[in-house]
Amino acid sequence: MEINLTGKPAFTYVNVDLQPGETIIAEADAMASMAAGISILAKTNGGIIAGLVKKFVGGESFFVNHFTNNSNKVQRLVLTQPTPGDMKVMELNDQSYCLQGGSYIACTSGIKLGVKWAGFASLIGGEGLFKLQASGTGQLIFGAYGALIEKDVDGEYIVDTSHLVGYEPHMKLKTQLSGGIFSSFFGGEGLVTRVEGKGKIIIQSRSVSGLTAWLNRYF
Amino acid sequence: MEVKIEKGPGAAAAKVTLQAGEVLTAESGAMIAMSDDLSVETTTHKKNSRGIMKAIKRAISGESFFMNHFTAGPQGGTVYLGSTLPGDMFTYELNGDKLIVQAGSYVGSAHDVNVEFNWQGFKSLFSGESAFWLGVSGKGTVILNSFGAIYSVEVDGDYIVDTGHIVAFQETLNFSIGTAGSSWINSYFGGEGLICRFRGKGTVWCQSHNDNAFGSALTPSLKTR
Repeated sequence: MEINLTGKPAFTYVNVDLQPGETIIAEADAMASMAAGISILAKTNGGIIAGLVKKFVGGESFFVNHFTNNSNKVQRLVLTQPTPGDMKVMELNDQSYCLQGGSYIACTSGIKLGVKWAGFASLIGGEGLFKLQASGTGQLIFGAYGALIEKDVDGEYIVDTSHLVGYEPHMKLKTQLSGGIFSSFFGGEGLVTRVEGKGKIIIQSRSVSGLTAWLNRYF
Repeated sequence: MEVKIEKGPGAAAAKVTLQAGEVLTAESGAMIAMSDDLSVETTTHKKNSRGIMKAIKRAISGESFFMNHFTAGPQGGTVYLGSTLPGDMFTYELNGDKLIVQAGSYVGSAHDVNVEFNWQGFKSLFSGESAFWLGVSGKGTVILNSFGAIYSVEVDGDYIVDTGHIVAFQETLNFSIGTAGSSWINSYFGGEGLICRFRGKGTVWCQSHNDNAFGSALTPSLKTR
């Protein structure tokens, strides 16, 4: 399987070349186009219970699609995301990575998407009670609205709540006011997420909630 | 008429250079800037031809009811054309052949190009967002836009495209609406819904992003007053 990101960074999309018999799993509605030799099978996202949890609390779809090359030659599948922006292919080697809801696009079949309890602090921060965790060995594809910024954290780091895309599972998220009461409410930052621990976090340079908040002023 | 696509793929604009007396037809609202001695005429039909019905059909198909015709003065001139959403543009040289264009992707064309509503039959009704199409034919340059990047696929046999990702295709291709999965149920639950299956030999141009999907991503947090 060969995964290539094209159109970076403004309008990134993915070319996936599947060898005969290979399968890739993708978020519902991620397919833009594909060769006719590829079949699609909808499956629940990790089982019925996990699928329901992921849909209603993780912000992901109940079903995901399994794309399999049933022909005897290489077939190309094109995957995309709803928002303009960048994507990243992450190699997991018996590892886990946590993603914020809505950023998952696809993964190879060795990776399972699960949900983990994230704590009440996470709910207040608008991130949901559960966190999405991709675990296993293979390639994980996720995307964002805007550009992706990678940051190695050792200790603590503060991220605007709607801009966090991914973080390592052992890292802790805490929601807090961005400053004092005054600056938090009038400074425009409101609540922020404090990330604690050592590891790599990924931030998006724009947020959909920022765009809609701006648009809402004109309705 | 010479067309140059500038500033693609992020926010493309088409720079159209007209010789003296040449006419460019463009979707209403597409003009960003132009030379001051160009004359603009707004009609419901192709310049110098009758056809209110064509305009009505065009309006139904999601394009504007009116078309603007830019005629260059004795010195010639330039027109810049843009589109509403960020994305790319491309040009296609028609030489007696025909393209079927997704309504909304049409930006402008040379005067000798015919732009008409193209009823693809009842299958259009079931194709979701792209229920209507324009047929462009004749001789000359056509300018088309996309939401996101554009990639072309040379189809020889069968090829599948999500309905929201089609920009245009050559008329030599047949298309049918089908389910993405192996069954209707599978397709519905899989979220891919209906897809277009192209058959034959020809080119289909796809857009990397789907404006309807982007709109749906924004809708939940938009408020109406």
